[in-house]
Amino acid sequence: MKSKTYGKKSWAFAGGCIPVDSTGKEPDYVSQEVLSILNTTPEEALVQLTFFYTDKEPVGGYEIKVAPQRIRMFSINDLIDPQAVPLGVPYGGVLESNVPVVVQLTRQHTGQSALALMGITVYQADGNS
Amino acid sequence: MSNEWTNWSGSVRFSPEEIAAPASERGVVELVQQAIAQRKGIRIVGAGHSSVPLVQTNHVLVSQHKLKGAVGHDPASHRVNMLPGTSISEAGEELIKLKLSMHNTGDVDMQYLAGAFGTGTHGSGRTLQNLSSMLVGCKLVDGTGELRSFSLEEHPDIMRAAKVSLGALGFFTELTIQAEPAVLYARKEYCSHIDVSLEHLEELIDSNRMFDMYWYPRSDRTKLRTCNQLGEGMDDIPFAEKAEQSKGWLYEILPQFRDLKYEEMEYIIPLEAGPECFREIRKRIKEKHRQYVGWRVLYRTIAADDVYLSPFYNQESVTIAVLQNNELEYKKYFDDIEPIFRAYGGRPHWGKKHSLAARDFQELYPEWEKFLKIRQQFDPEGIFLNDYLKKIFGL
Repeated sequence: MKSKTYGKKSWAFAGGCIPVDSTGKEPDYVSQEVLSILNTTPEEALVQLTFFYTDKEPVGGYEIKVAPQRIRMFSINDLIDPQAVPLGVPYGGVLESNVPVVVQLTRQHTGQSALALMGITVYQADGNS
Repeated sequence: MSNEWTNWSGSVRFSPEEIAAPASERGVVELVQQAIAQRKGIRIVGAGHSSVPLVQTNHVLVSQHKLKGAVGHDPASHRVNMLPGTSISEAGEELIKLKLSMHNTGDVDMQYLAGAFGTGTHGSGRTLQNLSSMLVGCKLVDGTGELRSFSLEEHPDIMRAAKVSLGALGFFTELTIQAEPAVLYARKEYCSHIDVSLEHLEELIDSNRMFDMYWYPRSDRTKLRTCNQLGEGMDDIPFAEKAEQSKGWLYEILPQFRDLKYEEMEYIIPLEAGPECFREIRKRIKEKHRQYVGWRVLYRTIAADDVYLSPFYNQESVTIAVLQNNELEYKKYFDDIEPIFRAYGGRPHWGKKHSLAARDFQELYPEWEKFLKIRQQFDPEGIFLNDYLKKIFGL
């Protein structure tokens, strides 16, 4: 019997901005934005990311692999290939996957010692050509 | 037709009048003699991995890419004659055919032997000297067009100048390298935290033949890498989580392929000053730079030597490298970190970004004048000099 899979191949978010300041011991308490990707399919997901900014050209070519029927969470702070994503700068992102996935973006802001967490919705984006 | 030449990272670009690629020693001699007759300058280029304008010239740029391979071998002494355009990777492949190995390699293995030796490229290991220590003999065409041969036993002073010479003594046409019998190595990578890593740093350096630490400025995580002959070194690192391991010949497992391009500044500082210098750099990066810098900082060690222009001259050393994506702003970052390196008596890597000039080097290198004297003898007309080397040498 074919197992059910979830999600879409295209996702997008508009309200990214990684806080510059952090308090507390790192890495647990570093201010960061984390992308979580759920791959319920039996195939490895190859996810291509492109980031968009207010005042410069988009930067694409980021690649994330997610094993079949697994989740992967990674901090956008840690991406350097092809470029580090600047902190404290508004950005948006588009994710294109070869198989359907579910995507969530989470921001952790520890700029003040009273920790606040905020989840951000990422939208299914069908894309127009 | 434009002859534009670009280095690996893209930050050094120029258009020489001619790019030549001799395929033989005779071809090199003729090229040098022709340049002398036409009063033209020559610079020699290897793989182009250096990110300072060592090879820049308006006249003749000579590539070594047709001068590759092993051309002789003395089984008794494990010495092998290699052509200068043999890359580190290719040298490993040639040596293993003879059941031999280099004693160490860097993280990158695309550099040609002559360029790696000439810039003091090093690898890591408290008891291991930089790659140029393998050079025990050479043939080179000097600035008068003469083909000359040297060996460590017969010309120790010349070899002390030639090993790290920035392509300023002439064009190497053959390199005799001291190899060692090949043995299998185990390479292991671990993830840890900077506080734990610094607490155990001395033990990690002393207990492993090769050890590197990478610190990630946006998380305070570290990657610890060990490489030891099988059965030697730390069997495991109990305070870190093992991420990867491999076993094989050194040249196969030590370098890591990296397509992602970056700019880099690396300084060599006294071993005992390493942790304090690193702590200061870490503090500065976290306070001022990590908004735009995600690249890790690399901490390694290398043994002392007696080579005139070796950054490890007479000094057990730590090397600390800061990196940035080549398409992002790096100068402000490097300019801000460099004074910290300088305050700890740092000597810059010859092939990476720095801002030093002759007066600085004169203070940092006790045998600076000896090198300059030998350079003058080898190249009296200065055909192997360019503007950058004139600034470095104060000429």
